[in-house]
Amino acid sequence: MRLHEKLWLENADLVAACEAHPFVRGLMAGTLQRDAFRRYVAQDAFFLRAFVRAYALALARSPAAEQAEELHAFIGGALEELRLHRRYAAELGIDLNTVEPLPAASAYVNFLMRSAWHAGLGETLAALTPCMRLYAHLGQVAASACRPGHPYGAWIETYADPQFAALAARVEALLDAVADDEPAVHDAYRYALLCEHDFFSAPLELSS
Amino acid sequence: MQEIATSRLVLAAGDLWREAVNPRFLRALADGTLAPTAFQRWLVQDYHFANGLLSFQAVMTSKAPREGHGLLIGGLAALEQELAWFERHAERLGLRLNSPVHPVGRRYVDYLIAAAYVQPFGVQAAILFAVEAAYLAAWSALSPAGPYAEFIARWSNTQFAEYVRRLGALAQHHQHPQQAEHFNQVLKHERDFWEMTWDT
Repeated sequence: MRLHEKLWLENADLVAACEAHPFVRGLMAGTLQRDAFRRYVAQDAFFLRAFVRAYALALARSPAAEQAEELHAFIGGALEELRLHRRYAAELGIDLNTVEPLPAASAYVNFLMRSAWHAGLGETLAALTPCMRLYAHLGQVAASACRPGHPYGAWIETYADPQFAALAARVEALLDAVADDEPAVHDAYRYALLCEHDFFSAPLELSS
Repeated sequence: MQEIATSRLVLAAGDLWREAVNPRFLRALADGTLAPTAFQRWLVQDYHFANGLLSFQAVMTSKAPREGHGLLIGGLAALEQELAWFERHAERLGLRLNSPVHPVGRRYVDYLIAAAYVQPFGVQAAILFAVEAAYLAAWSALSPAGPYAEFIARWSNTQFAEYVRRLGALAQHHQHPQQAEHFNQVLKHERDFWEMTWDT
């Protein structure tokens, strides 16, 4: 079994917890409050900027040209996602320049920055991969329930897109290539999923 | 202590400072009602934290202006001795120091290490001052007696107080508009760290 498969399977409990999360369920069902979605989009844009920087730091540390090419493509993918967020933000009336990070977003961003600046390439990829795989997974789960006129249909389509799943698979392939099967890599992967879970909680906690 | 308590950053922090330096964990430690298991959990988590602080301070020192070298390197040497001291206590108590880091402690250390790379030196100086000043103030409120006298004395003695005073002077000398924001951020982490040890 390849490393990324092993990591995904050993964290099935956290993946299930994300899938069952009230925020995710509400988003899939279309019953999520608009305000919670607005807060989520704003926080996610803040997070994505750190995601781009973490990929860039990984690129700077990549010894092989093929790895640099892959990371270059991932940066492009994350920047494209950021462009989408800017469009959502404009539609939802959010000024992304004035967004203050909630503690869950700060924790996730600090974890990514610590990994990317301070840890090795394998650990950094282990910190970055869960987000991609989780969103591809959630997109696919949501797509089956998505109907025309779904209030969050555009969001679901983005992550249900086979191209997004293909990008996630490329990130996983790079993880397999650069990371050793060691405790720090397992730990980073699991902690990133925990951060994902807490990230979904934050927009709801604020509204309660 | 007086010089620290009246410093610009402490005064601006207001209630956050009071929350960070007056944890119920230490009140219980002082009056003898703290559960030994809570103390042991704290010891292990604080060891993880000291390791993280060493990384933060080492990276920060590599970017420090010349005048900060003596103070920061002296602090690093003291941190190394502190790790050895933790290890001796852990051995005596039969504690495993490689047990998992609590998410609250992890958030604190991730914040510090990220800051070591992305923040300017003036902000880092305020962060380090906050970490050590809050610790000094918290422990200095206790009298060094009872079963934890050695711990209380370690973080309330005059040598440590002088180190913290000099860190305050360093931060003052390298003022930056974001010092207060980060000083307060550290205090929130300090507050949560004490609560974490109490709760779990």
